[in-house]
Amino acid sequence: MNTLLKLKKVNLKYQTDKDTIKVLNNIDLITKKKDTISIMGESGSGKTSLVMLIGGLEKATSGKIFFQNQDITALSEDEVSEIRRKHIGIVFQSFYLIPNYTAVENVALTLELNKFKNPQQQAKELLDRFGLKNRFNNLPSQLSGGEQQRVAIARAIAMKPDLILADEPTGNLDSKNSVMISNILFKYVKEEGSSLIIVTHDSKLANKAKRKIKIKDGKIV
Amino acid sequence: MEKLFKVSELNLILKYALIDLVRNYRKIFSIILTLFISLFILSAILTIENSLKKELNDNAKALLGGDLEIDYHSVEGNLELVNKVKEFTTISNMVEFSTMISTTREDNNQSLFTRIKTVDEKYPLYGTVVHEPEGAINQIHNEPYTILVNENIFKTLSLTINEEIKVQNQIFKVVGVIKSVPDVSGFIVFGDFALAGKETLDLLKLNTLGSFLHYEYKVKFNEGDNTNAIRKRIQDIFINDTKVRLRYPENSASGLRRVIDNFSQFLSLISISAMLIAGIGIANTLLSFINQSNMSIAVKKALGFFSLNIKTIYYCQLLILLTFISIAAYGLSFLLVPMADTYLSKGLGLNIKPLFSIFTFIKIFLVGLLVLVIFSIPTINAIDQVKASNLFRNVFQNLQFYYSKKSIFVSLLFLSVLILLFVIGSARPLYSLFYFGAFFLCLIVFFLLSKFIIFLLKSLKSTSNIPLKVSIKNITQTKSIMPITIMSLGLGVTLLLTLALVGTNFKREVAKSIPEIAPDYFFIGIQSTDRDTFEETILSMDNNVRLEIVPIISSGIVKINGVDPKSYIKRDNDSYWVIGSDRRSSWSDEVPEDNPITEGKWWDLDQPNKLQISLDAKVAKDFNIKIGDIFTLSIYGRKIEGEIVNFREVDYRDLSINFAMLFNPQFANTIPHEYLATAKFENPTKFKETVMLDNLPSLSIIKIADYLTKVTDILNKVFIAIILISTITIIIGLIVISSAIIVQGKVKEFQNLVFKILGFSKKEIVLSSIIEFILIFFSVILIAVLFAVIGSYYVIEHIFELIWQFDLKVLFNLGLSIGLVTLVLIMLTNLKYLNPKVYPLIRNQ
Ligand SMILES: Nc1ncnc2c1ncn2[C@@H]1O[C@H](COP(=O)(O)OP(=O)(O)O)[C@@H](O)[C@H]1O
Ligand SMILES: [Mg+2]
Repeated sequence: MNTLLKLKKVNLKYQTDKDTIKVLNNIDLITKKKDTISIMGESGSGKTSLVMLIGGLEKATSGKIFFQNQDITALSEDEVSEIRRKHIGIVFQSFYLIPNYTAVENVALTLELNKFKNPQQQAKELLDRFGLKNRFNNLPSQLSGGEQQRVAIARAIAMKPDLILADEPTGNLDSKNSVMISNILFKYVKEEGSSLIIVTHDSKLANKAKRKIKIKDGKIV
Repeated sequence: MEKLFKVSELNLILKYALIDLVRNYRKIFSIILTLFISLFILSAILTIENSLKKELNDNAKALLGGDLEIDYHSVEGNLELVNKVKEFTTISNMVEFSTMISTTREDNNQSLFTRIKTVDEKYPLYGTVVHEPEGAINQIHNEPYTILVNENIFKTLSLTINEEIKVQNQIFKVVGVIKSVPDVSGFIVFGDFALAGKETLDLLKLNTLGSFLHYEYKVKFNEGDNTNAIRKRIQDIFINDTKVRLRYPENSASGLRRVIDNFSQFLSLISISAMLIAGIGIANTLLSFINQSNMSIAVKKALGFFSLNIKTIYYCQLLILLTFISIAAYGLSFLLVPMADTYLSKGLGLNIKPLFSIFTFIKIFLVGLLVLVIFSIPTINAIDQVKASNLFRNVFQNLQFYYSKKSIFVSLLFLSVLILLFVIGSARPLYSLFYFGAFFLCLIVFFLLSKFIIFLLKSLKSTSNIPLKVSIKNITQTKSIMPITIMSLGLGVTLLLTLALVGTNFKREVAKSIPEIAPDYFFIGIQSTDRDTFEETILSMDNNVRLEIVPIISSGIVKINGVDPKSYIKRDNDSYWVIGSDRRSSWSDEVPEDNPITEGKWWDLDQPNKLQISLDAKVAKDFNIKIGDIFTLSIYGRKIEGEIVNFREVDYRDLSINFAMLFNPQFANTIPHEYLATAKFENPTKFKETVMLDNLPSLSIIKIADYLTKVTDILNKVFIAIILISTITIIIGLIVISSAIIVQGKVKEFQNLVFKILGFSKKEIVLSSIIEFILIFFSVILIAVLFAVIGSYYVIEHIFELIWQFDLKVLFNLGLSIGLVTLVLIMLTNLKYLNPKVYPLIRNQ
C-alpha cells in the first residue's frame, strides 16, 4: 500500500486542424512513496506532457491515472485543483513567480491556501533555509534567475506536498545555480520523505534520482 | 462546491483582493476615474433633488401659507362659511390682483406690470417676510397708501425708500423692499410682486370685473388640534360649495415639484448614460488588466486555486473600489448643494441644505454595482480560459470577452434591474423606458458600424499610399480600439448633439414669436365704458398700429352633457386646464384668421337667443366631444347651456389672442363684459405707457418683450446647464478612448518601432494616425447627426409639440469642437508611442 501514483494505458493526443498528434502512447507507470524519478528524453518526446497529466493540468485522451489510489481522470477540474493544492508542488523551467508579490508573499500564498498558521513566518523560515534571508521583500524582478527558482521551489514545497513535479527546473540556469537548485530539491525530498519527479536534460542531475525513466516518441523505453 | 465559501476562504479572498488592488490600482485608474465621475454626477443630482424636496416638505405650510387654504379664485366667496371656519381656527384673508405701478417723477417715468397682494396683520401665518427696513411690514397695515415692493421692482424703477409711486390712479409710498416671502407658490414665481395692507382694495376702488382679483383665505389650526379632524370639519362646511377649492400643504408648490421631478429624471438619464459609456471602458480596461495578469492567474490555478476563487478575488476588488468610490462620490456631492442653493435661492426663495439619506446612498451604490457587474461578467469570465498548463509551454493566449448563455442571462437580468431602477419612481416612466430603448439601439448601431467599417476596409484593394495602408491595418487588426472608440464616442456625441438640437429648437421657437406675429403689448382690464377712450388713445400715438380688441368674459364649465367633467376627466389630461378653473372666453363675428374651422359650421344666425360655442379642436379630441354636445357654463353665477357648433384649430404659441371657447356674438353681447387688446406698433417707441395710464389708470399693460426676455433668460440658463451636464458623457467617452489607447500602447509601440526600422518618417506615422482618426470620427459624426436629428425631432414635435428645424450651425460648431478635442487627445496619448527607443525593445523581444 505504498503506491503513490499509477498510470494505466494512458494516451494523449492533440487534435490540430489537419491531423491528430499522438503525444503519449499507452503509458504504464507505477511509483512508490518517497521515490525520486528522473525523466529524460529528446525535446518533443512528451516529457512535459506526462508531467502535466500527472499534475492534473491536462486531461488524458484515454487511460487512467491514480494519485494515492484516487482516479484523477474521473474528477472535475476543481476537485483536481484541490488535490494539487494539498499534495502536489510544481516547479517550472521559467520560475513563474507572481510578479507583484514579494518573495515572502509568493511562498506564503500556498501556505495560506492550505490554511497553515503563521504563513508569513513559515515562508520566511523556508526562504532563510534557501539562503534568501536578505531577499524577503524583493519583487521577482529584483531577483536573479537562481534566486527566483529558489523562491519557486520554496513555494512548491512549503505546504509539504507528497509529490513534487519539476519540469527542467535548471533549464534556464547556469551550472553553479543548477547544482544549488538540485541539491535543495533532493535534500528536501529526503528530509520530508516526499516523492520527486524531475524532467531534465542534465544526466548528472538525473543520476541523483533513484529511478530513471527515458521517453522516446511518447513511450517509456 | 458548497464548501467554496467557507468563512476562512472568504478571508483569504478578501485579503488577496486587497493586496492586488493596492498594488495594481494605477493600471485600473481609468476605471476609478470614470466610475467616480459618473457616480458623482448621479449623487449630485439625487442629493440636490432630495434637499430640494426636503425643503419643500419642511416648508410646505409656509409655502401654502397655512395649514389649509380656502381658494375662491375670482370671487369673494361665501363669507358665511368662511366665518364658520374662523370660529375654531385663525384665518388670514388676502386678495391678489395684477395692475400697473409707475413712478411719479418730473420726467422719464416708468411703469411695470405687478402682482399686488393685499394682506392683513395675521399674514404670514407661517414663515417670515424678509424685508428692509425693519418694521416696514407694520407700516402697510397701520398707514394707508403704503406699499412694499420686491427687489426687482425697486431696482428696475430705481426707487428710493419713501418715494411715491402711482398704483392705478392713486399715489402710494414705497416703505420698504421685500427680499423674500414664505408663500412663493402663490405668486407667479418669476414675476414682480408687491405687498399692501388690506384697505388697499377699497382705496383703489377696484372693480371686481376688471381686475382679475384672486381671493384666498389661509387657515391656521389651533395648536394641539387634530389636523385630520379639523380638515374633515372644514371639508364638511364647504361640502355643498362648488366654487371653492381647498388646498393642503402636501400639494403646495406642486408645479415646482413637478419641474423638479421632470428635471431630475432627465438628468438622471444623462448620468446613467455616462455610466453605461463608462461601463464599456471598464470592460475594456478590465480585460487588458486580466490579460496582463494572465500568468499570475495561471500560477494561482497551478497552486490549486479554483477558477471561481480567482474570479471572486476580482469581483471583490471591484466591490472594494466601488465602496470607496461611491462613498467619495456621495460625500463630495454635498459640496455642490451650496452652489445649487445660491443658484436657486435667488430665483425661488428656497434655502436648501445638504440632506444625508441612506436610501440615496444605497441607490447610488446599487447603480454602480449593477453597471460594474454587467460589464465585468464577460471580462472576468474570461479567467476560465486561462490554463495552468500554459506555464509549461511558455505561451499565453490572448483572452477575449467570454459570453456563456448563463452569463448573458445574468447580464441581461442585471441590466433590466438597472433600467427598472431608473424607470420605476421616475416622473414619466414611459419616457425613461423609451430613452433606454433609444440608447441601446444607438449602442447596437454604433457597434455594427464599427464592424461594417472594418469589413469595408478589409475588402479594400491595397493602395500604394503608405500612411493610408498603415491606418487601414491599424483599424482592422484584432486588437483594434476602433469598436470601443466608435461606441463610446458615438453615444456621447449623439447625446450631446440631440440635446443641443432640442435646446436650439426650443429657444428658437420661443424667440421667434417676438418679432413677427407677437404683438408688442397686451392690455388687460379695459372696461366696456373705456373701450373707445382706449382705442382713441392708441390711435393717437400711432395711426398704423395693428390693434386687436376683443370682448372677454370669465366662465367655468360646470357640466358636459349634464355630467360634471371633473368626475371623469383626469388631471393628467392635456386639456384639463380648460375645466380646471374659470377661463376667459370671447366672441367674434368672423372666423378668426389663424383659427380655421376643422369641423361644423360657424354661427347659426337664426338662433341668436341660444348660446353657441366654438371649441378648440384639440380640447374636443382630449375630452371626446362631438358637435351638438351641450356644455353647461357658469357665467357670473348664472348657469347657461350652450351647444357645441364647431371646432377650431387653435395655435396658442403665437401669443396673439386665442381662446379655447368662442361664443356667438348675438348671444354673448348681452352679458356684461370687458375687453382685452393686443397692439403691435409700427415703432414700439411710439407707445407712451404713462400717457395711457393717465387716461385709463386701472388698465394693465404687459410688455411682451419683457416677458419673453425673462423666459429666454431662464431657458438659456437651463440650456447651458444641460449642455454642461451632457458634456460629461463626452468626457467619460474620451477617458474611455484614451485608456483604450494606453491599453493598446504596447502593441502600438512595437508597431511604430517596426515602422521606424522599415524607414518610416515620423511624419508618415502621424499622418496615418490622422487618417485613422478621420475615418473613425466622420463615420461617428454622420451616424450621431442622424440619431440626433431623429431624437430631437421626436422630442420637439411630439413631447413639446413645437416645430422642429434643422440647425447646421450648432451641429457644425459642436462637431468641430468635439472633433478637435478628440484629435488632440488621440495625438497626445499616441505621442509617447511615437518615439519608441529602438534598443530596449529589440532586446526584450
Ligand atoms: N497543444 C498542442 N497541440 C499540438 N501539439 C502539441 C501541443 N502541445 C504539445 N504538442 C506536441 O506534443 C509533443 C510533446 O510535447 P512536450 O510534452 O512538450 O515534449 P517535451 O517536453 O518532451 O519537449 C511535441 O511534439 C509537441 O509539438
Ligand atoms: Mg518540455
